Amino acid sequence: MAEKAAMTLIGLKKTIGSKPIIKGLTFEIKRGEVFGFLGPNGAGKTTTIRMMVGLMDITEGDVLIEGKSIKDNFKEAVRHVGAIVENPEMYPFLSGWKNLQQYARMTEGVSQERIKEVVELVGLGNAIHEKAGRYSLGMRQRLGIAQALLHKPSILILDEPTNGLDPSGIREIRKYIRNLAEKENVAVIVSSHLLSEIELMCDRIGIIKKGELIAIEDVKTVEDHSALKDVHIEVHPLEMAKDYLQSEMDQTIAINKKELIVSAKREDIPQILKNLVNRGMDVYGVRILQSTLEDKFFDLIGENAIE
Amino acid sequence: MNNFLKLVWNEQIKLYAKKSTWIMIALIAAIVIGAGLLAKFMDSGIQTEEYGADWQSELQQENAALAKEMEEDEFAQFSNPFTIQKNEYYLENDIKPLPYDGWEYVLENAALTSLLSLFTIIIAAGIVSNEFKWGTIKLLLIRPISRSKILLSKYVSVLLFALMLLVSMLAASWLVGALLFGLNGASPMIVQETAAGFEQTSVLKEILLGYGFGMVTLVMMATFAFMISTIFRSSGMAIGLAIFLMFAGNTLVMFVSQYSWSKYILFANTNLQQYFNGNEPIIEGMSLAFSLTVLAIYFAIFLAAAWTAFTKRDIAGN
Repeated sequence: MAEKAAMTLIGLKKTIGSKPIIKGLTFEIKRGEVFGFLGPNGAGKTTTIRMMVGLMDITEGDVLIEGKSIKDNFKEAVRHVGAIVENPEMYPFLSGWKNLQQYARMTEGVSQERIKEVVELVGLGNAIHEKAGRYSLGMRQRLGIAQALLHKPSILILDEPTNGLDPSGIREIRKYIRNLAEKENVAVIVSSHLLSEIELMCDRIGIIKKGELIAIEDVKTVEDHSALKDVHIEVHPLEMAKDYLQSEMDQTIAINKKELIVSAKREDIPQILKNLVNRGMDVYGVRILQSTLEDKFFDLIGENAIE
Repeated sequence: MNNFLKLVWNEQIKLYAKKSTWIMIALIAAIVIGAGLLAKFMDSGIQTEEYGADWQSELQQENAALAKEMEEDEFAQFSNPFTIQKNEYYLENDIKPLPYDGWEYVLENAALTSLLSLFTIIIAAGIVSNEFKWGTIKLLLIRPISRSKILLSKYVSVLLFALMLLVSMLAASWLVGALLFGLNGASPMIVQETAAGFEQTSVLKEILLGYGFGMVTLVMMATFAFMISTIFRSSGMAIGLAIFLMFAGNTLVMFVSQYSWSKYILFANTNLQQYFNGNEPIIEGMSLAFSLTVLAIYFAIFLAAAWTAFTKRDIAGN
């Protein structure tokens, strides 16, 4: 925490009419970190992002970018930000290259070489000279990222970057984003309404619901193999297995329909199964609940409903 | 300042990358060429023949023929007196009439400034609202540039576009006119009808005034369309309203001209021609200074409204 935050939200609020949309968000994002901004549709992710980049007025609170207020010092603050807000929309009648030139002219110190560099980075190749109107969504997404990176921002904000992309496209975006954070020390904020799509690229995930931040989770602990996980084992006979494991492992074991639910470390699972099989019990299936994060997400959010 | 020029440059690139802009330019070229060819090769009653050394008797013969025609043809009773009076003016003042030339063609095309207004309105109505339509407004407004500067660059681009149209039309008219009708020197004098009768005047002065008056309406209506599209983000509404008001404005003023407040209506003041050539202003008590003041106030209100809407607005939705 000694490192200065790239972006800090301080009690950020937005009220439209008399309706509070964002009810006071406070958190920070550090350089070199990928921060996931997760919540169901309508939770206020895009509104928050719009306030972060100055597209929307802030009702109360502030956003500091590299220590500068987006409210009072817009130009100095926004200089450090590259963003795609919602879809990566481009001028359809200009080529990808000319689109980038438009934005290059709007920030000081972006050379032609830099544009080439960025085009190479996102891998648009020769397609850069085609009209953006003919681009596929994946190509537009890349051009959008190129546009956001032109001026070497220290904070990159991507609103639903995986929207409409196929799995290989998502994998590619994930690769870029990890690279940017790890090699270029950029702070990346990625919003999504689907945990599964951003889980693998984020270091931390903030969960927002109805305009409030309800949790910030560290993703790395989830990947930790020494953590206890719920292991579901479909085994017959159930009672016998339960009694055996209870006496052997000294812990309470739940039964859910035809399954036993055992809390175990990943490394202990093979031994448990061997023991069961050696005692003449039939194991039909084993599954580990994908991640505790997903559980938490659903616990916190409830269904993926718009409320 | 340097980065303001870059913004204007950006706007110009966007403008000229679109087909519709080139269609407008092509239409103007086609109309200027077409009208020239029609005037040259159809019987349009323009004087293309040069008068001889004894031009006085030629004019007298012409007048006699016209008078005779009036006795036989009812239609001629409407059209001929104008020519007869004009010829008499030439005779009385001992001016040898010059044939129709390229300069006069340029002057006649001053009527086409309403077409320029139309095209400029279309551009003005789209330059802000299209960014919303394309969704690119979000990328435009997250640069380290103030919104005021971006809006101003767009407004300046509209004016530059109008200037480009005007210069192209002048150049095309002059070129087509010179090729088809020739030129009577660098700055010939022409005889024009005014409210006070016929008058000899410099063609360049008339061209300057004719196009200048047209530009007043153009700038006001383009600024109006710019404001409407910035506030409502709809180019269709801005184009519709601006064009409707441009053409119906005068009629509207006529409807209410018995009330003294009607002189504060924009359209009572856009036609500055009412103060020149011995014309009477459409509503009593109006003067050139009054109209210029009213125009300046409307102009300031339009821009202030557009600026307020653009700089204060939350960019939400698409």
